[in-house]
Amino acid sequence: MPVYLDHNASTPLDARVLEAMLPYLSGPYANASSLHRYGRAARDGVEQARAQLAALIGCQPQEIIWTSGGTEANNLALKGVTELATPSRVLYGATEHPSVMEAAESLHARGWGVEAIAVDAQGLLDWPRFEAQLQRAPLRLVSLMRANNETGVIQDIERAAALVHAQQAWLHVDAVQTAGKLPLDFANLGADLLSVSSHKIYGPKGVGALVVNAQVELSPLLHGGAQERGLRGGTENVAAIVGFGAAAQLAGEALAGRSARLLALRGQLEAGLRELPGVTIFAEHSARLPNTLQFALDGYDGEALLMQLDRKGFAVSSGSACASGKGEPSHVLLAMGFARELAKGAIRVSLGKDNQPEEVSRFIEALRSFKPRAGAPP
Amino acid sequence: MIYLDYAATTPLDPQVRAAMLPWLETDAGFGNPASDHALGRRARKAVEAARAQVAALLGASAEEIIWTSGATESNNLAIKGALEFRGRANAHVISSRIEHKSVLDTLRYLETQGLRVTYLTPAASGVIEPEQVRAALRPDTALVSLMWVNNETGAINPVLELASELRARGVLVHIDAVQAAGKIAVDLAQLPADLLSVSAHKLYGPKGIGALFVRKRPRARLSPQIHGGGHEQGMRSGTLATHQIVGFGAACALAAAQLGEEGDRIRALRERLQRQLQSALPEVLLNAPAAADARAPGILNLSFTGVEGESLRAMLPELMVSSGSACSSATREPSYVLRALGRSDELAGASLRLSLGRYTTAGQVDAAATQIIAAVQFLRELSPQGSGAGTAEPLLKDNVYEYPAPAWQRFAHLKHDGRLPEDAEVLTAEADSAAARSLLRLQLRVHGRQVRETRFQAYGCPIAIAVGEYLAERLEADGLDALGAISAAVLRDALEISEDKAHCALMGEDVLRALLQKTGGKT
Repeated sequence: MPVYLDHNASTPLDARVLEAMLPYLSGPYANASSLHRYGRAARDGVEQARAQLAALIGCQPQEIIWTSGGTEANNLALKGVTELATPSRVLYGATEHPSVMEAAESLHARGWGVEAIAVDAQGLLDWPRFEAQLQRAPLRLVSLMRANNETGVIQDIERAAALVHAQQAWLHVDAVQTAGKLPLDFANLGADLLSVSSHKIYGPKGVGALVVNAQVELSPLLHGGAQERGLRGGTENVAAIVGFGAAAQLAGEALAGRSARLLALRGQLEAGLRELPGVTIFAEHSARLPNTLQFALDGYDGEALLMQLDRKGFAVSSGSACASGKGEPSHVLLAMGFARELAKGAIRVSLGKDNQPEEVSRFIEALRSFKPRAGAPP
Repeated sequence: MIYLDYAATTPLDPQVRAAMLPWLETDAGFGNPASDHALGRRARKAVEAARAQVAALLGASAEEIIWTSGATESNNLAIKGALEFRGRANAHVISSRIEHKSVLDTLRYLETQGLRVTYLTPAASGVIEPEQVRAALRPDTALVSLMWVNNETGAINPVLELASELRARGVLVHIDAVQAAGKIAVDLAQLPADLLSVSAHKLYGPKGIGALFVRKRPRARLSPQIHGGGHEQGMRSGTLATHQIVGFGAACALAAAQLGEEGDRIRALRERLQRQLQSALPEVLLNAPAAADARAPGILNLSFTGVEGESLRAMLPELMVSSGSACSSATREPSYVLRALGRSDELAGASLRLSLGRYTTAGQVDAAATQIIAAVQFLRELSPQGSGAGTAEPLLKDNVYEYPAPAWQRFAHLKHDGRLPEDAEVLTAEADSAAARSLLRLQLRVHGRQVRETRFQAYGCPIAIAVGEYLAERLEADGLDALGAISAAVLRDALEISEDKAHCALMGEDVLRALLQKTGGKT
């Protein structure tokens, strides 16, 4: 079993979540839309989970639409808000997840103006440019992530929301990496739509949610059936939804203690890294998620480093798992103005609830043992 | 409880569950299949093994299988993705009126964007004839989307016959095979469909996972409907749910291994059920082709004339089946599939879809038949068209559909059902509710101001029947004075009748008025 330091890619299922799911993988197996008794038992499980998730993110249960994951939630937000509107403009942060960027870019074909919002070297929105972009009406939607999956950078969503709403536009927030790591309060954040995913908070894969306030007119992405108030057709993935609910409840209970612990672990990691020669810690001066740290070592080839770490039993990544295997440097780091060469060497460490200080020490030691690329400065 | 709703969803096979669990337990199964480390590779390997299993069941090759979140997404992706890729928003599509909602709703949405659609109407047997498709073809027809096996009737469409012909004409063929895969032989090496949708939870796999077959040669091309990291050859992004995919694979492997044998067993059980019902009950209509092999093995859809659908369902609390009737008569929406077959709203509402599966036994089938026969006989006798002679009252224990308690108690324990012989002392009145097509007949045996005996008959939902019982009870207790004292408002209060069932209370008031007239208004 490797030392797992890739929790932003996926998290292990909490044993208590599996416990909650098991009855739905063997007992009341019916379709949650069936009217008979088993159907009702399934429906009760789905609705309880809705209340549990609502409690974690500070929204009303009826504002939650279940999806197959964060990617679908992001697609539903961007396409659902624009589907029936007269094409105007959509803005998204330059460091967004590929599911937001690509969903936004797909709107070009439907006649929409689509623009990225620049970030500075610390990964934070370039506010003067953003404000100038906002001024050019008409504008329909802005999509920003609360916390970045690679660097962990936290954006000031409250500030963005006021600006976006002043333009009579909607704000979608990708909170996939935020839920369970930082407090979330949909009612006060200023977001009109918000995406979350189960498998990032120790819940099962295959389920996520889009939270939508009642003012937003949303069109479905998947047509068919009246599930989720007609906004998302398809038989409910009952066991996974129940698991998501349980994971949300556990995440809420553990939030404060877990954040403090992860922050301490990350501090240990950061201190260790700083002792290595030629280390760059990305967005080091920004507020970041307590569990996330992205860095590069001068003179090391990123891919080779990843392979060596993998062989030594450390699971880390270069950036988004969704973009892995393509050999492309992180678009997040490029947007922050880093050179391709440095960006290609990036390593993302994302810590989780079960990581131990001793694992972090071993990770630092492993890095120390690797030899820099021939010809590179020591 | 007897579960006969396998066409809605199936229980997870224990072997499937066993295959899934390692991927849910915390140790080594949770890696993101897109991750480039040991845990990611491990998950990816399992995903690819499952892809081969799904492909094998369908006679496809693994790279032709695209994972989705279920058949609804598969159908959406097939239709929207194919038309979007071809850039033909105004093209013509042929489909039918009996497709699954995910196909119909998708097409209706695309019609608002300029698509033109021909919806074929099936023959009374529920089959779309190849000739109908040929006749609907136009030069701009881009896609034909038809289901292989209908989810309500089980009718098998002759898709094999059509696909080669359509391909020769350059028309893309999408088959919704959700009810076919794992139930009847599917061999995409023989069936030249371009796109084919399947779902795991209809074949003893988990919910939340499906697949779309996308043919490689000749290549069917799609525009993605869910964008992101470019998973699934760029056709469907999003983190793959390893445990669900592994479960789907295992379910397909099991289905393939027992396809013929299980099909024969289930078909024999279905024939047994049909035989029992049709031999005990007259006027039971089959909603499917008569030939046993023209239907998927597990589905039996029957219409019961002379009974009201909602009451039929309420009288079968031990059976988990799908009925053609919705729970609220205000939003009554009988099965659009049965209506497309030419059944009246009333008959469509009085239909049961009994779907059998892997865990159905002969004992369950016999018990289900006994319960259905008793319920139908009882309701037919209770109807004003019935003799009123009465039959053994079916056992009614559970208020599964949560009718208000005072209404349910009366419906479940009728004491005044039946018919009095017409003589000088007997007053008879009838009232109906056109909106709900219900009918109430109330009889009193009157002696002076006294009511010595009351009887009622009713055709309608449980609330309508409860109204009949309540009126009979009150008149027997309170005599003719009750005639003027009971209004629709009183009935709604007493039986806790909701807004959408208010017509039942009005019908009760109407029957009292009719009786009042017969007594010459002398109450």
